[in-house]
Amino acid sequence: MAKSKQDPILHAAADWWVRLRAPDAEGETIEQWLAWTGEDRRHLEAFERVNQLASQLGSLDSVTRQGLIKAFGRTVAPQRRWMPLAAAASFVAVVLGGAYITWISLNRVNIEVYNSAVAQNRDFTLPDGTQVALGAASTMTTHFSRGQRQIDLTSGEAFFTVVHDNSRPFVVGAGDISVRDIGTAFDVRRTGDRVTIAVTQGRVQVSNISQKPGASQGGTLEVTAGQLVSYDPNTSAMSMGSMTAEQATGWQDHRLEFVDEPLSVVIANLNRYSRQPVQIADTDLDTLTYTGLIRTDAIDSWLDALPKLYPLRVDTHGNQVILSDEHPAAHR
Amino acid sequence: MGKLSALAFEGMTTVTLSEHVEEIEKLFREHNRALIAFLQCRLNSHSDAQEVAQDAYLRMLTLDNREDVESLRSYLFRIAGNLAIDRLRKRKVRGDFVAGQSQDEPMAEESPVHHAIAVEQVAGLRKALSELPPKTSQAFVLHVIEGRDFGSVAQTMNLSERMVRYHVTNALAHCRAMVDEQEMP
Repeated sequence: MAKSKQDPILHAAADWWVRLRAPDAEGETIEQWLAWTGEDRRHLEAFERVNQLASQLGSLDSVTRQGLIKAFGRTVAPQRRWMPLAAAASFVAVVLGGAYITWISLNRVNIEVYNSAVAQNRDFTLPDGTQVALGAASTMTTHFSRGQRQIDLTSGEAFFTVVHDNSRPFVVGAGDISVRDIGTAFDVRRTGDRVTIAVTQGRVQVSNISQKPGASQGGTLEVTAGQLVSYDPNTSAMSMGSMTAEQATGWQDHRLEFVDEPLSVVIANLNRYSRQPVQIADTDLDTLTYTGLIRTDAIDSWLDALPKLYPLRVDTHGNQVILSDEHPAAHR
Repeated sequence: MGKLSALAFEGMTTVTLSEHVEEIEKLFREHNRALIAFLQCRLNSHSDAQEVAQDAYLRMLTLDNREDVESLRSYLFRIAGNLAIDRLRKRKVRGDFVAGQSQDEPMAEESPVHHAIAVEQVAGLRKALSELPPKTSQAFVLHVIEGRDFGSVAQTMNLSERMVRYHVTNALAHCRAMVDEQEMP
């Protein structure tokens, strides 16, 4: 872009080309153009080069021609889902601990993989200026093309402060859920297929894009700042709650906030920050829910306090922490 | 110029001949390059531009109302412009016929050798187009590559013709600069 702007003669030549192209261009236009070509010999030369390119492009072989028309001649779909693009782009990402970035340029879609190690949040600035705070043990893939910015949150949590661009929607996919930015900052957390979205600024559209039979289809919620949406993959239901910006972004400051989340979800997220993996041994514990705060720099004390809150036992086996029923004998 | 003079003899009386031929020859010397450029812009084909230009000079030479013509140059470009419109019209009829037979084949107007575009150039073009705003590259591709007129592109894109021209101008300048960059590394 820069170069063509820097060359005013070339730009003028292109402008004249477009003006003369119209069959109704009157004699006066042609006279003005002739005057322009007479001013400087470079003018006609630039015009001829524009002509040459246009003639070449007007007589391409049919394969090249159709390819270009397909790639650029179609109206950009206003709301394209992220799934087909992600599926179309096959790539191999080498992922190690810490943050690794794989940059693959596939014709038009730039794909980058971002991830983070356990107990390590990472901050990124995406090529469009969007700020991402990626939670610990999280992975996301960005698919950026001319008309779309799509993020696939594979696991974990990320907070997005989006640079809004009407011509280039910003969409975060997390399993069945798609979150579309409407000028905003928001947090997406994915635990398996369970997804929570907390909006701290502006608005987003949250859609269920799953194709599962029996799932309630087409649900789209508009979520505004201060609101929280939880998606339960078992029921395919989305429920609304509220959450302050401070709560939603607390994880960036060692605080994990949960509102009425199953204990399994809480533990899965805790494990993204815990050096010692925590396991739930008994499935009945899954039905417990938790609302509150966990300090990621004081996980041990939270685990110690857990038996006071719930009828469960906390044991350490080697490097593992096991949560189990308080009274195994009473099980069932 | 021998060719022009030869053409002239077919339709002109000897009295005005040498003077008029001289005028046309001067027109040719001074403006042929611009005329070809003008016609190539209209026809998107260098060889067609040359043919139509030849035709236009012939008509200038056989002009029978020279005294009514104020500016020979303006007249030459007007004749050439009209001939180009005729040619586009004929091409369209032929194009529709071709399109009826095969949807995908572009018109076999040009010799492939003359306009062959290198594979690397196509890659460079794709890159250049992808750097542009989507509407800019779309307008460009629909007009320059697919060959649709401004009105049809405007309708498809739901824009004014003026906006379409604006986009095509920007894309042309950008793509030309980018393809040049490739040719001169």
